[in-house]
Amino acid sequence: MTLKHKFIFTCEGPWSDGSRELLCLDTGSWRVERPVTDLDKCNYCGLCALYCPPQCLKDMGTYFQPDLAYCKGCGICAAECPRHAIAMRPEGEFAHES
Amino acid sequence: MTETKRKKSPVFDYFTETEDVFAGGVAWCAGCTLELAARFVPKVLGKDILLVGCPSCSAPVFFGQNRGTWHRMSYFSSLMTGVASNASGISRMFRRMGKDTTVVCFTGDGCGADIGFQPLSGAAERNEHVIYITYDNEGYMNTGYQRSSTTPLGASTSTTPAGKVGHGKPTPSKYVPLLIAMHGAAYAATATLSHLEDFARKLKKAKEKVKDGFVYLHIFAPCVMGWRIDPSASIKVCREAVRTNYYPLWEAENGAVRLTHEVPSPRPVADYLKMVRKFSHLGEADIERIAATVSQRYALLKGLDSLNR
Amino acid sequence: MKAEKGEIKVITGNAAAAHGARLCRPDVATSYPITPMSEVAETLSSFVANGLINTDMVEVEGENSAMNVVAGASLAGGRVFTATSSWGLSYMYDAVQQAAGFRAPIVMVIANRESPGILAVSGGQQDIISVRDAGWLQVIVEEGQEILDTVIMAYRLAEDYDIQLPVMVNYDGFYLSYMATGIEIPRQEDVDAFLAPLKSQPPRQILEPGEALGCGTHGIDVGFVELRYRQCQAMERAGARLDEIDAAFQDYFGRGYGGQIEEYRLDDAEIALVTSGSATGTARVVVDQKRQEGIKVGLVKLRLFRPFPRQKLAAALKGKKAVGVVDRSVGFGWDCGPMYMEVRALTPEIGIVPMLSYIDGLANLDITVPHIERAVDEVWAAAQGKPYQETTWIPLEA
Repeated sequence: MTLKHKFIFTCEGPWSDGSRELLCLDTGSWRVERPVTDLDKCNYCGLCALYCPPQCLKDMGTYFQPDLAYCKGCGICAAECPRHAIAMRPEGEFAHES
Repeated sequence: MTETKRKKSPVFDYFTETEDVFAGGVAWCAGCTLELAARFVPKVLGKDILLVGCPSCSAPVFFGQNRGTWHRMSYFSSLMTGVASNASGISRMFRRMGKDTTVVCFTGDGCGADIGFQPLSGAAERNEHVIYITYDNEGYMNTGYQRSSTTPLGASTSTTPAGKVGHGKPTPSKYVPLLIAMHGAAYAATATLSHLEDFARKLKKAKEKVKDGFVYLHIFAPCVMGWRIDPSASIKVCREAVRTNYYPLWEAENGAVRLTHEVPSPRPVADYLKMVRKFSHLGEADIERIAATVSQRYALLKGLDSLNR
Repeated sequence: MKAEKGEIKVITGNAAAAHGARLCRPDVATSYPITPMSEVAETLSSFVANGLINTDMVEVEGENSAMNVVAGASLAGGRVFTATSSWGLSYMYDAVQQAAGFRAPIVMVIANRESPGILAVSGGQQDIISVRDAGWLQVIVEEGQEILDTVIMAYRLAEDYDIQLPVMVNYDGFYLSYMATGIEIPRQEDVDAFLAPLKSQPPRQILEPGEALGCGTHGIDVGFVELRYRQCQAMERAGARLDEIDAAFQDYFGRGYGGQIEEYRLDDAEIALVTSGSATGTARVVVDQKRQEGIKVGLVKLRLFRPFPRQKLAAALKGKKAVGVVDRSVGFGWDCGPMYMEVRALTPEIGIVPMLSYIDGLANLDITVPHIERAVDEVWAAAQGKPYQETTWIPLEA
């Protein structure tokens, strides 16, 4: 029996190999609103970054910035910021951005 | 612009890994506390852990798809009945081989409290060198929010729905963390995602105590979908659960329970229940019954705590 | 190079299994007690307690954990061993399936007993039949020495790089488990030498902490099919590999069992009987007796059950005028015994000849000389063209 199949696995059993193939979803596309930070109010406490489930808030040295490729728009950062420095704005307001 | 003091939260000091072992985009719901917990654990414990999981909300992200994976940790995928036992075998073999990687089971309450409870109990009793983390979203969420034994009294789930006759789950939840502490586990503790420093400290302690034997961490992890809460409110729900003593934070070394966070003026349980729409059908009498179970559980913990002061 | 003679001890089949495991130096072993194999666990535990082996023996809280603990240890790189019977096998079934799919080279002995459905603390092969499709290699042995020897051969087979499949070594509960016979226990150094070739193979994939390798990925679409295909192909290779290992064992230790099947006085036989397990001993006696009476009967001992030794069995039975198969179990959903049904599937190769199914030996009822004599007589009559009953439940008709 000749097979047309090109074998996916490199060993007998069901082993995955993250060093060869790390998967990633475009979760940024889920979002209907995004966090916008008022830098005047932000005191760099980092609670937004700590509480962000996808951990997409990046440390910019004096404030944190969401990685929009992965921000799901859950709004936890805005809800948890003790200084109310973050507001959730509808994605539509940023439609002009590519 | 006023000069504001810029100082990062002390939680960051607990991280041994700053890089996330997970891919940026993975298929957990927006606002999911499991996602926060899953990304948090390797940041504190380090990424050289052997993760053991099972079918659950964690499975689609913990386990690969054919050859690809969503993270860079080593893992073993068990059946729900096999988690603690597979982990026991792996842990023993690693010790024989001189590998000091920590074996970390990470399952939902569906496994830890129900279908995987027997092997969990067996592993705890044998004092296996394994850290077993249960994220408790009070139900079988991945399969559609069915009830589990940690679903609280009165909660409306897809198998205990509130209706003309049904009032939600008719029995209170099984208190798994205390049961495991009573096995004499080297370390058992409760934690949640609102109190991250407490969670981080307990993870660090877990890493130390697993050298002595079995470690169990029970994490209160609300499910935005199953509990019907706003994605942005999931951390607030955790905080309210702690503030009402609905979910007390404690730890136990070899069965000696000590509260790690005492709430000076606990809020009424009703404040917590009204944040979560799976309780929205409850009347006054139901709320009182639930509050009674909360008080009783807290009194028991306080009593145990007083023995160990 | 030949092994030296080992010490001969009078020990039970259970103890023989435990000695076989001991000699292979497992890293991790588990066992949950269940009649009739609790002695395997006890014997191994006493070996550990007396420092005879350095095995991590885990006293688990149930058979499901017994399989899962060794599966975890196996995939972490260890050599492992466990034992069970009947209901214990049923209880660990999800883990049994997973172990095969994950290609963990586990060796498990099973003291065969009637499986659940009717409460029975008695011998039978229903437990073997109930897990036919688990994806494990299944061998069925005839007597105590063969138990010990087959455990050793099982590690050579399971851990073979081209196989990597778990092996069940089955022996009749109550008959072989408790019967004490004189058994030669090979020397440790000779068993070490026999298993040494495994060390010079390429290493199988095991858990490598710190590496992004995961065991038990989701099989998606054609990836799933590929994994199943690989496992089926490995099973197909296992038959010939067992023949090679058996020949090597015969050469080294001076004892061999024929590999996949053993033929007894079959060459010039006109009719054949197919048996498995301890009943084969009784069948040998009857074959000799009937030969004296002029009936040219031969015997095939079905040793490897999974993979089913299709080619070997077809070649052995080809040209025979009638075949009788003795089953120590029932085949739910078929009106005949389960092993019979599988032998009957060889009709295209053997030819359409009378085939007779004998269901006997359930619930520890003995398969006696008169029972086998009756079977031979009926198969012989069928070969002469006389009418015959396809399936006979001997305990209800004897």
